Amino acid sequence: MDAQTASTFVIEAHNLVKRYGDVTALAGVSAEVQRGEIFGILGPNGAGKTTLVEVLEGLTRPTEGTARVLGVEVTQDPVAVKARIGVQLQAASYHQFLTLREILELFGSFYPKRIPAMELLERVHLAERAGARIGTLSGGMKQRFSIVAALVNDPELVFFDEPTAGLDPDARLDLWEIVRQVRDAGATVVLTTHYMEEAQALCDRVAFMNAGKMVALDTPAGLIRSLNAPYRVMATSATPLSEAGVRGLPGAAEVEVALGADGHIVRLRAQDAPAVTAALTALADREGVRLVDLAVQPASLEDVFMNITGRKLSG
Amino acid sequence: MTRILFSSSLKMLTRDKQALFWALIFPLIFLGVFKLFSGDAAGTTRLIVSVDTTSERGRSLVDALSQVGFLEVEVRPGLDEDSARVLLLDDEADAALVVDPAAPNTPANAVLLIGVSDPIGRQVTSAAIASVVDRVNLVLTKVPVPISMTTRPVESKTTSFFQFVAPGILGMGLMSFATIGLAGSLSRYREEGVLRRIRATPLAPWRFFSSVLAAHLVITGVQVVFLTLIAQMLGADLFSGGIWAPLIAIFGTISFLNIAVILAGRVTGRGAVEGAANAVTLPMMFLSGSFFPVSSLPEVMQTVVKVLPLTHMLDALRGVTIESESITEQWPSLLVLLAWALVSFAVARVSFRFEDA
Repeated sequence: MDAQTASTFVIEAHNLVKRYGDVTALAGVSAEVQRGEIFGILGPNGAGKTTLVEVLEGLTRPTEGTARVLGVEVTQDPVAVKARIGVQLQAASYHQFLTLREILELFGSFYPKRIPAMELLERVHLAERAGARIGTLSGGMKQRFSIVAALVNDPELVFFDEPTAGLDPDARLDLWEIVRQVRDAGATVVLTTHYMEEAQALCDRVAFMNAGKMVALDTPAGLIRSLNAPYRVMATSATPLSEAGVRGLPGAAEVEVALGADGHIVRLRAQDAPAVTAALTALADREGVRLVDLAVQPASLEDVFMNITGRKLSG
Repeated sequence: MTRILFSSSLKMLTRDKQALFWALIFPLIFLGVFKLFSGDAAGTTRLIVSVDTTSERGRSLVDALSQVGFLEVEVRPGLDEDSARVLLLDDEADAALVVDPAAPNTPANAVLLIGVSDPIGRQVTSAAIASVVDRVNLVLTKVPVPISMTTRPVESKTTSFFQFVAPGILGMGLMSFATIGLAGSLSRYREEGVLRRIRATPLAPWRFFSSVLAAHLVITGVQVVFLTLIAQMLGADLFSGGIWAPLIAIFGTISFLNIAVILAGRVTGRGAVEGAANAVTLPMMFLSGSFFPVSSLPEVMQTVVKVLPLTHMLDALRGVTIESESITEQWPSLLVLLAWALVSFAVARVSFRFEDA
């Protein structure tokens, strides 16, 4: 085994730039992906996620920069890279007149190493649809099929581009489970998404992309910890707490006081959740207010993205 | 790999009912329709001949004309051109040949009036009568004739309209399916993202391309066999060219496949690609002599039409079949087809870029 294969990084991207005429899709992206992780690329539509992934897959030539994928410089030998990776593309389809089994056998025939079609179909519970054509499948089935079609060559590294876009929650959970199985079987997974819950639930590390740049890269928990006030605290009481008292709580930010259907509500963000809740309980005791409910939630990746870019991730 | 790739491409065609319709059923309908209308099933052309039957010239002419299968000859001596025209207008005849009385051994003028309403029937009838008149003249002038001429009849058989049109329909069917079919499949592969997905695999683009082309050529072969057999059953004369007729057909199809690749590469959107393919093939179908001879077009158009590949494909096809010529006599047409194949291949190579998928 040479030094490259032994490297813990399956992807080493350095200063990738991709321009289409006047449009800059990638404005200098550098990142490393570790062997065996699920690496998420999160960002709004048009952030450059797909372009980045296509450069790494050898589908698009970068204008500048280098990318080593599985130890191979992808612009030098895209075919060698393509033979060892698995790819699920956004908005790509398969032969409409072939059956699922025939498609997998066809794609398998392109690779030196391949997994039998039926074994693949069983993995995603499509074995009984082996003789069906793509057009007869539901959205979730199609997505499951396109994931398993990326695995025909038993790849070391798999790219999933927006694998759950447009799926209902059940189908999404199904797909998450399949993606985890792929990772557990030993492959490294790179996936793009614009669903922050997906990144949070599924990814070991998450890179944020915005306007062609990678603006943050860490574990989901690390990204959230990086916020000044990473917790949301919400207290409900039958009688109101004094607003001055709430605003005076140590480390409280973005304080809101409101009257809701369940009673008087205090919302705030805090750096140190235990300290704030203790101070809040003490305040209520001093003011003779009975707290009906006290909830502490970690902030979400959405908050982190908002904090870094000033824009919302979705919607 | 190659076997699975090829069989997949072939399945993509054979399971596409629409493609099969255009490849096989569409030209079949044409064969059937032209068979019904061509007249050699039921119809004959009624010809009135006005000639002095007491002369040798008159008798020879009537005899020769009577031997033409689809002519129903009626002799009415003493008609002049005007009275013959009246008969035609009254629908008592479809054509009239009026030969001026002239002393034996002096040239006689003849006028052929044709009232056959369809231009195709008119073509066939006038060609048949003209050839008979020529033959009679040849016999009557009594110039020394080389032996080879006398042993070989000037016109051994009369070409029926159906025999004329059958190679045309074969060529039309091959052209339509090659151009519209291949342009359609390539643009579908691209539009549905199949091309893109294949590009993400280590498969070399030329292998994919070759498999698609090979599959189309197989269907072309099926078309040739199927349409030739049916046309032959209906009375066409495609077998007389031996193996050359199908070979010419497949050779000519190469240019149309290349044209399809060019269109799929240069035009964006599947609907637009198929529209462009129709725009290319439809005028050729009518101008290049599928249904009527190129010689019946205005002079100016003929010069344009003589550049088109279908014209030469049909010329060569008719040459080796209904005209009983040898393959070597087709060299001008074959040369043009070769030029078309080479040039269109070169353009196709640079037109369709896999990277754009």
